[in-house]
Amino acid sequence: MSKVLMKGNEAIAEAAIRAGCRYFFGYPITPQNEIPAYMAKRMPETGGCFIQAESEVSAINMVYGAAGAGARVMTSSSSPGISLKQEGISYMAAAELPCVIVNMVRGGPGLGGIQPAQSDYFQATKGGGHGDYHLVVLAPSTIQEAADLVIEGFDIADQYRNPVMILGDGILGQMMEPVEFRFSNRRELPPKTWATTGHTGERPRNIINSLIIDPQALEDHVNRIYQKYGHIMKNEVKVECCNCDNADIIVAAYGTTSRIVKSVIYLARQEGIDVGLIRPITLWPFPANEFSRWADRQHVKAFLTVEMSTGQMVEDVRLGVNGKKPVFFYGRTGGMVPEPSAILEEIKKVMRSVMK
Amino acid sequence: MAAYNLKTLTDKPERLTGGHRMCAGCGAPIVVRTVLRALKPEDHAVVGTATGCLEVSTCIYPYTAWKDSFIHSAFENAAATVSGAEAAYRAMSRTGKVNGTTKFIAFGGDGGTYDIGFQSLSGAMERGHDMVYVCYDNEAYMNTGIQRSSSTPKYADTTTSPAGSDIPGKVQFKKDLTMVMAAHNIPYVAQSAPFRNMRDLYEKAEKAIYTPGPAFLNVMAPCPRGWRYNTPQLMEVVRLAIDSCVWPLYEVIEGKFVLNYKPRKKIPVVDYLKPQGRFRHLFTKENEGLLEELQQEVDRRWNRLLELCGEA
Repeated sequence: MSKVLMKGNEAIAEAAIRAGCRYFFGYPITPQNEIPAYMAKRMPETGGCFIQAESEVSAINMVYGAAGAGARVMTSSSSPGISLKQEGISYMAAAELPCVIVNMVRGGPGLGGIQPAQSDYFQATKGGGHGDYHLVVLAPSTIQEAADLVIEGFDIADQYRNPVMILGDGILGQMMEPVEFRFSNRRELPPKTWATTGHTGERPRNIINSLIIDPQALEDHVNRIYQKYGHIMKNEVKVECCNCDNADIIVAAYGTTSRIVKSVIYLARQEGIDVGLIRPITLWPFPANEFSRWADRQHVKAFLTVEMSTGQMVEDVRLGVNGKKPVFFYGRTGGMVPEPSAILEEIKKVMRSVMK
Repeated sequence: MAAYNLKTLTDKPERLTGGHRMCAGCGAPIVVRTVLRALKPEDHAVVGTATGCLEVSTCIYPYTAWKDSFIHSAFENAAATVSGAEAAYRAMSRTGKVNGTTKFIAFGGDGGTYDIGFQSLSGAMERGHDMVYVCYDNEAYMNTGIQRSSSTPKYADTTTSPAGSDIPGKVQFKKDLTMVMAAHNIPYVAQSAPFRNMRDLYEKAEKAIYTPGPAFLNVMAPCPRGWRYNTPQLMEVVRLAIDSCVWPLYEVIEGKFVLNYKPRKKIPVVDYLKPQGRFRHLFTKENEGLLEELQQEVDRRWNRLLELCGEA
C-alpha cells in the first residue's frame, strides 16, 4: 500500500479504524480535535459509531460500556481532559477492560496552555487514577510509529485485557508526515469469552465488575492483575537505542524530544563528543534493563534525560541506572520545545563535570 | 426603574473593556457588556467564566479586559467556583470582614453550560446562591473549532456533526435549557438576545442581578465563524431568530411565564436559516422535507410557550 501524507491526529484516527475500532467516544479539547472530527466523518462510512459525549467523564464511561460488550473502542483527549477521565480509566483497569486512550499532551498544570508538553508522564505511567494499576503506555516519535502503535495497541489491550494509552503531544498531533497503514505484528488473540454479550441461557453469566467488598477477595484480584503486569513487563518492552556503542554520554528521551536529540547526535559528533540515545517506546513497561546494561559499559560516563517537563521520566532512568553512573536532567516546560543547541550545551556541561 | 435609554446607559464606563481578542461580528462580548452595564456603578462584581472563547480571548495573562474581579477555573466549574466565592462572601459579610455590595456573575458558553457545566450549574441554582449564571449561547464549541453541543440546532453542520450525503448535519434537536432551568423553580429565569437597542437584555440582566437568590439568563450570541454569516449581519441574524420564533424572548418570574415579545408577523424559519452557511446544505430539492420538519418543531415549541405565558 502506498504512503499518504497525513496529520498526526488524523493518522491515529485512521489507524484505529484500520485496526477494527468501530466505536469512538470523544469530547472537544485542543490539540486533539482532528481525531473526533475525523471519526465523525469516517465512522458512519465504516458502519461504526461516533458519539460526542457531554464531557470527558461521560466519554470514558461510554468506552467502559462498549469495552464491556467486547467492542474495539477508543477515546482521545488532551491533558486536562485526561485528568477528568481518570476515574473511568481506573475502573476499566480494575474490571480488566481493553481500550485505547490517546493523550495529545499539552502544557500544564491546570488549564495550562495548548502547546506541546511531556508533563503527563507521571499521570500516564504511575496509574493516574486511584488504586493499584498500570496502563500500557506507548510513546510514538513519528506519525508512522503513531499509526503502527495504535494498530498494535489494540492488540496489546485485547491480549492483556488492559487499557493502553498512546502518549503523544501537540506537535505529533498537528504535524504532517507520510504514513502507511501496515499490519506487521498481528497477534493471535483469544476470543472475548468474558464480554457481556447476552448469554441466552447457554453459558453462565459474564460479570464485569470493579467492586469487591471482601478484603481478601480484593487482594486476590489485585494480585492477579499484578501477575498480569509481570507478563507485560517481561514481554512488551519496546526501546530504540541509537549510537550507544561507543557513546561518551547517553541521552534518554521519548516522543518529540527524541527526534530533537537525534539531530544533536550529529551536532555533537562535530564537536568530538559521541552521544548515544535510548528512546523508550513503551514508557510503561519502562525499559529499565536497557539503562542498566548501558550503565555497566566503561565508555559511558553519564546519562542525560531530556524532557518537556520539570523531570518525570528521569526518575525511572535513575532507577534503571541505579547509581552506576550519574544521571543529569534538562527540561523545558509550558509548551517550550528544547532547541538542539541548548541540548548540546547541556551535554557539554555534563561532559565537563564528569571529566573533572 | 428609569425609562430605558441606550444612549445615556452607554455613557457608563465599560466593565469589559476594548482590546480583547473576540472576533468581529461575535455576539458574546456585546452580551457581556450589556449584562455588566446593568450593574449599579457603585456595586462591585465577581465574574467567573467557564473555559471558552470569552475566557481565552479576554484574559490572556497578564492582560485582562475585565474591570471587576475575575476568576476562571475549569470548563465544567464556572457555577461551582462562583458558588464558592459567593458563599465565602456571605460568611465574611456576616462577620463584618467585607463591606459594600458585591454581585456574583458567571458566564459560560453553551458547551460549558448545556453540556459539561450542567451539573455544577444545576447544583448552584438548587442551593440558592445569590448569583446570576449567564449562558452566551452560540450553539457549538466554537473555541475548539466548531464541534456540536447539545445546544446545536438540528441539521446544523459542525466538525463533529458534518453534513454529508447521508447524514444532513446534527441529528438531534436543540436542548431547551431555559425550560430546564425554569424547572429548578428559582426566582428568575429569562431567555434573551442582543436585540434592537438591547433593552430586553439590559432589563433582564438588571432583574437577574438584583433579584435576591439564583437567576439564570440564556442569551443567544451568534458566532460568525460557526454560523457562517457575514460579520456585519450579527444583529440581523438575531432579529430573524426572534421574528421566526426560533429564539423567543421570555422570562419566568417566581414560576410565572411572561412573553416579552410577540412578532407582529411571524416569519418562516427558512428566512432565519438562509443567511447561515451552517444550514446551506438544507437548501436543495431533496432536503425540503427537513426544512418543513424544523418549521414544525419551532411551531410546536412556540405554541407551547404561548400556552405557558397565557397568550394562546
